[in-house]
Order: sequence, then structure tokens, then C-alpha cells
Amino acid sequence: MKKFIGLLLVLLIITVSAMAGGYQVRLQGQKQTGIGLIGTPLKFGASSIFYNPGALSMMESKYSFSLGVSPIFSTAYFQKSGSDYQAQTDNATGTPFYFYGAAKVSDKLAVGLGIYIPYGSSTTWDDDWAGQMLIQNIKLQSVYFQPTLSYQINEKLGIGAGFAYVTGNVDLNKALPYNDNSEANLEGSTSSYGYNIGVFFQANEKLSLGVDYRSKVMMEVEDGDATFIVPASLSTSIPATNKFNAELPLPANLDFGLAYQLNKKLMLAAEVNWVMWGTYDTLTFTFKESGDLLNSSSPREYKDSWIVRIGAEYKLNEKIIIRAGGYYDPSPTNDLYFNPETVSLNTLVYTLGLTYKPTEKLCIDLSYIQTFGLETDKSYEPENFSGRYKAQSYIPGIGVTYSF
Amino acid sequence: MKYINLFFLMIIILITSCKSEIDDFDATAGSVDFTTYLAFGNSLTAGYSSGALSSSGQKYSYPSILAQQFKKVGMQGEFKQPMMPTEDGVGLRFSSSGFVFNTRYILGYKQDCLGQVSLSAVSSDPNASQADLQSQLFNSVADDGPFNNVGVPGLKSTDAISPISLFNPFYARFKSDNVNYVLDEVSIINPSFFTLWLGSNDVLLYALTGGTGDDITDVGDYSTAMDSVVNRLTKNGAKGAIANIPEITSIPVFTTVPYNALVLTDQNTVDALNAGYAVYNATMEGLGLDYRINFTIGPNALVISDTTMPVPGVLAFRQIKSNELLILSVPQDSIKCAFWGSMIAIPKQYTLIESQIDNINQAIIGYNNKIAEIANLYSLALVDMNTYLTKFENGMVFDGMGFNTKYITGGLFGLGGDHLNPRGYAVIANHFIEAINRKFSANIPQVNLTDYPGTQFP
Repeated sequence: MKKFIGLLLVLLIITVSAMAGGYQVRLQGQKQTGIGLIGTPLKFGASSIFYNPGALSMMESKYSFSLGVSPIFSTAYFQKSGSDYQAQTDNATGTPFYFYGAAKVSDKLAVGLGIYIPYGSSTTWDDDWAGQMLIQNIKLQSVYFQPTLSYQINEKLGIGAGFAYVTGNVDLNKALPYNDNSEANLEGSTSSYGYNIGVFFQANEKLSLGVDYRSKVMMEVEDGDATFIVPASLSTSIPATNKFNAELPLPANLDFGLAYQLNKKLMLAAEVNWVMWGTYDTLTFTFKESGDLLNSSSPREYKDSWIVRIGAEYKLNEKIIIRAGGYYDPSPTNDLYFNPETVSLNTLVYTLGLTYKPTEKLCIDLSYIQTFGLETDKSYEPENFSGRYKAQSYIPGIGVTYSF
Repeated sequence: MKYINLFFLMIIILITSCKSEIDDFDATAGSVDFTTYLAFGNSLTAGYSSGALSSSGQKYSYPSILAQQFKKVGMQGEFKQPMMPTEDGVGLRFSSSGFVFNTRYILGYKQDCLGQVSLSAVSSDPNASQADLQSQLFNSVADDGPFNNVGVPGLKSTDAISPISLFNPFYARFKSDNVNYVLDEVSIINPSFFTLWLGSNDVLLYALTGGTGDDITDVGDYSTAMDSVVNRLTKNGAKGAIANIPEITSIPVFTTVPYNALVLTDQNTVDALNAGYAVYNATMEGLGLDYRINFTIGPNALVISDTTMPVPGVLAFRQIKSNELLILSVPQDSIKCAFWGSMIAIPKQYTLIESQIDNINQAIIGYNNKIAEIANLYSLALVDMNTYLTKFENGMVFDGMGFNTKYITGGLFGLGGDHLNPRGYAVIANHFIEAINRKFSANIPQVNLTDYPGTQFP
């Protein structure tokens, strides 16, 4: 065991990049992560609270608890158009975690609670990098608290729904062109609501299907704290402290997946996700004071994206299950409105997973995924900032599931 | 257990096996030999900025920025500039009392005659004495030469091939031995590539003094001089880039003080002024001329002196037209508190009237035709600064920073209002690189503008 921890530490030291398109993060269960982040057609116990509440009532044990974390080591690279200028991010390690607890209150009815982080990002460019007037660094995070009910209509069909209470915060810095030290810091938090509904269908012994819909959540920051560091000569027109309003959408997802148990050992699965990023068209900041000078409305013009996933699971023996998967995640961003605050590129990903069951009740789940944001020319036209981007991330994950 | 070990081993191998960095920029020289670069020109080439030539400005001259990029495509050795001894530098300007030395300007606070404090260009070293500044400028650095940056503040095209250039202190301080004039410096460096930007002063020295300090160089004389200059520069097969002359009347030194800078707020003053000019108006009417002087509450066109009027000298004044220009050097306190532009006509060294502006623009058109002809004849890269500057009149954005031709806030010009700030020079250097890349199928990287300081607000 010491060896694993040592190896894990080695992984943690290697600093490196990102996640799903836009600022979505889908690392809500290590078993699902290992199999290409597929979850809708699978009944992996309590983590169905996120992936498909309909499958929760199908869980085999009476109680199930699941806990895990997936540190994200991500780096984005930038090469300025027409120039030999290069930059790369020094992102803080993202740590999306999850916790689920579920219980069957009757043969047919299950209840559960999930806490997870499906949206977030951490992008840290150097303070004096070429895009400093657009963004220096940004941290976004949303935490979902989702109580869930799931009902088994018959042996084949389960339905479920969860209510999501969402808290979120944002913290960003950008430079201002008044002197070498001018900058703006915006920090705000808010809460909102959403829901998650799913249907799980066990067509026969071999084939299962699932559909899940997670609603859009609009995060509206009111009276966020804005701090401006500007030269004294401008302090009358730009107050040092100010309040701002802004809103950021967490887009809706419609997922459809199927899984097929080829034989006793091998299971194959596939899933498509429709991520409704089209809702993110403009990022608007409205300031309480000096609005004429400070208010901004910048286009983002995201478009909906379709993610296609495949994965497989193989039962080596009673104690060990291994998994692998892969997917293609097209960027929802617009080529002309690509802001380096969210370096989301067309991304290829492979995933690996392993479950070790020391006892019947306990699962130790490991996962590892690596994402490759494909090198692409992008520009943010309103600010005339263009270049070539590339991104990469390493995400090891560890989790435990205890069921009885 | 061994499977778990295997799992980690696999991950380690995967992480270490892929290199993720982005490809480097592929810098190429195209058909140019960049081994030895020489820049020829005037104050813009020297790196004059914020009213002076200073070591802090020279560091960011566009030739120095270009040289740093040319090193990536084969330039050898050091690009030498005749550095000034201090960061505050020395500037030289005309005034009614002759030449005056000054340090560079920085943004600071100035109180006007009405007691109002505002952001203004102030000396970076108010204690510098005229004698100190003069000795700094007259101190020769020729021993450090020869220099690749032959940018001489104040140089006109015709000076380049005339011994008169030996009397320019900005040249005298770095001139090599045994030269007859500035152009001879070219043969000492013997460049394989050059940039040439010469001609602004052929109109600017006239324009900055309202036509009182110098004459506009005749287009024919300009052409002759430029032929000699380019002949010499290309003598040994050097390739080069030539920049043309921007519309100088759109730069801040001519656009900052509005024609209607006389703001009247009190009806009694308006009435008194109008009564005072009743005789003038009646006389003009009697002479059958259209000149009238009238004031109202609010901004008013300033009264200026105009010796081209077909009237006796005592009547040679009128209100300035909205398309005529005031020069930034006009003492604005005199307008606010000493009746300049209302009871006293503003002297002509502070104004450019319509006919002068026409003369300036005509000359620039002539110069630019010649420059285009030269570029064509000698296969030089033509850097069209004239068109480029007009784009900035409407505002340009680079990397999230706005640039326009406004004084102080425009981000492009230095505090003298007639030269660029370091970031502005970087913009210019990038435009040179674009033109050179296009002409010679080269791929020289442009510079990153945020690496160069803009105008610093206090």
C-alpha cells in the first residue's frame, strides 16, 4: 500500500491540464471515470445520484456510500499569432470531489444525497503575459447538493429525480492599461437551484439503457466585490472598491447511454451527451459605480456540443475489475470569441480505471484520465488577441465505495 | 495487488511519454541577408520620445526593437545606438527666445492660472539646468561607434547629404571621423539590410513653428536627396524597408488644443468683447471682406494672427476656422488668463492656417509618391505609415489595449505629442516586420506589445 501512495505522490508532483468542454467537469465517480466517464446506462450504486437517479433504485445493497477526489493537473499553452511569444498556464490543482450516500427505504424506493462539483475551472496565466488585459487568472467553482428520490416501477424500469441546490463562486484578475501595476479583481459568490432527472431501463440480462437530464442553472452574482488598483490620478473616476453584478450559465445536459454485458467478464458501454452550451452567449459585468466607464458586455457565443463516449469493463477476478474508455469532446467555444479565461479546445481523452474489492462491502476505485486539447488557432476578436492554443491535463482519481 | 502496481506503472509511462509543448515559431529570413542592419532616419528612428532623446527612450527605439527580432533571422553582432548618458535625456525646442533644452516629460500635475490642477506633461527632472543639459547633449560618444542606428533628431532629407548636418548637435555627438555629412555613416557600417524613414522633418519643423521656424522642403529637392540616400544605402546590394510619411496634422501636437478653446461663461464679457470688435467688423464690411469676429456663451473660435489676409497689418487677425489647428506649444494659461485668443490675437507660431495645412499635405503627398517610386525601383519593402496612422484615428485594439491618436490617453504617442511612447514604437516595429515579411517572404516574429511600457499614469 505504501508503494501506491508513493506512486500517487509522484503523480501529484507532475504539474500539468483540463477537463470537459467549457468549464464543465464530469468527474463524479471513479468507476464511471475509468470507463470513459459513462454513467447513464450503469448502476454503480450511490454515484447514480449524479449520473442517472433512475438507476439508484436498482442498487443491489441496502446502503451505499461513495467518496472520491480527482486532482486535475492542467496546463494550457499559447503561441501568439505572428510572434515567437509563448506562454503557458501555471494552474492551481483543481480538486473536484464527490460524496454520495444512498439507502433503500423499501424494495422499490431509494433515497440519497449527493455533493459534487460539476462545473469549475482554474486558469492562471502569468500576471504580465500577453493576454493580461483579457485575463490574468480565474477560479470558478460550483458545488451541487442534490437530495434524490428513485423509484423502481418494475424489475426493469427505474425512475429518479433530484433537486439540486447550487452554490458557486468566482474570483478573477485582469490587468488595466494605466500603468504597470493597474489591475482589477472581481470576486463574487451566489447560489441557485436546478434539478436532475433520469430513467434507467434493464432491457434484458445483457442490455441496459439510461437517459438523464440535468437542468441549466443560472448563477447570478449580485453585489460581488470589485477591487481596482489604479494610479492615484484616476482614483476619482475609478473607485478602488466597487460592487458588480454578473451572471454565468451552467448549461443543461441530456445524456443517453447503453451498456451491453458481452459475457460474464466483459461489459461494453457507449454514451452521448448533448451539452447545451448555446445558452452562453455574452458575459456581462455591471458595476454599481462608474458604470459608464466600467460596464462591459463581451461576446462568448458558445454553441451546443455533442460528446461521444465508449468504454469497457473487464472482471479479472472476484477482487479486481479493470476499465478503459475514451471520448471526443468538441469545444463549445466560438473561434472568433475565444477568451483565454477558458481554454476549451477540441479534446481527445482516454481513461483507465481499476476497482479493488478487498471485501464484499468495500471497493477501492482508482482512475486515471489524460486529456489532449488539440492545437488550434483561436482569436478573441473584440480585443484583437489571437494565437495558437494547446492544452493537456492529467487527472488521477481515487475513491472508496462502501455498500452493505 | 500486482494489477494495481501495473496500473500505476502504466500511468507513469503514459505521462512521461508525451511531450505537450506547443511548436516553436519558425523564424526565417526569406530572401534577406540580415547580417548587418543599419537604421537611417530622424528623431523617430533615434527613439526620441516624450520631448527628448533619452537612454530610457532609445532602449525602445523601433530600430532597437527590430534588431532584437532580426537577431532571430541572422543578424550578427551588436546593434549599436549612440546612447544618451541619462534616462531623463535632452530635448531641444524652439521658443521665442531661441533654443531651449529640456528633459523628457512624464505625467504629473500642473496648476494653471485659474488654480485648477490637472494631469499634464511635466519635466522628469525639474532641477536640470540648461548648462547641464547642454553639456550632456554636446558630449561626444563617437568613441563607442560606429553606430548602426543613424537616426538624427531634426534631420531633414536635404541635411542628410549636406555638411549642415555636422552642426546638428544630435549628430555631432556621435559622428565618425572623416565624414562630410550624415549619409557617409552608411559606408562605415556597410549594411546588408537597412530601414529608412526620412521626411517628417521636411514638413514638421515648419509645422511645429506655425511656418515661422523653417521652410517646407520642396518636393523636387526631397526627391534628389532621397535618390542619393537610397543609392548609397543599396550600393553594396543591401535590401531594405522604407517607410512613408504620416499625415502629421493628425498627430496630438496639432489636435489637442481645440480651435474653440476660448470658453466664455459670462454674458457681460461676451457683450464687451463683441462691442470691442464692432469697429473691426464694420471695417471688414466696408472693405467688402467676409471676416467677422463674434463671441457667444460657450466655446468660441480663438482670435489668431494671420498675415496672409489682404488687409493692412493692424487688421491682420481673425477668428480661427474649425479646420485650422493650434499647436500644443501655445501657452494655454495665456488663453485662460491673459486674453489670448479674445482680446489679443494668438501669434502665428502657434497656429496652422488652412493654406499652411494644404502646403504641408501637398508636400507629404509628393514625398510619399517619391517614396513609393523608390520602393518600387529598388525593390524595397514599403511600410505604409501614412495609411496605418489613419487607422489609429478611429482607434485600434491590440491584445485588449486600445490605441488612438489622442494626447496622453491614446496610448500611442509620448507626452511631446509628436513622437511615440515605447509601446507605440513597438506597434511601429511590428508594422515594419509585417511589410518586410510580405516583401521578402520572410517570417520574422513580431514583438509582444505588453512587454513595452505605455504612458504611465502617476
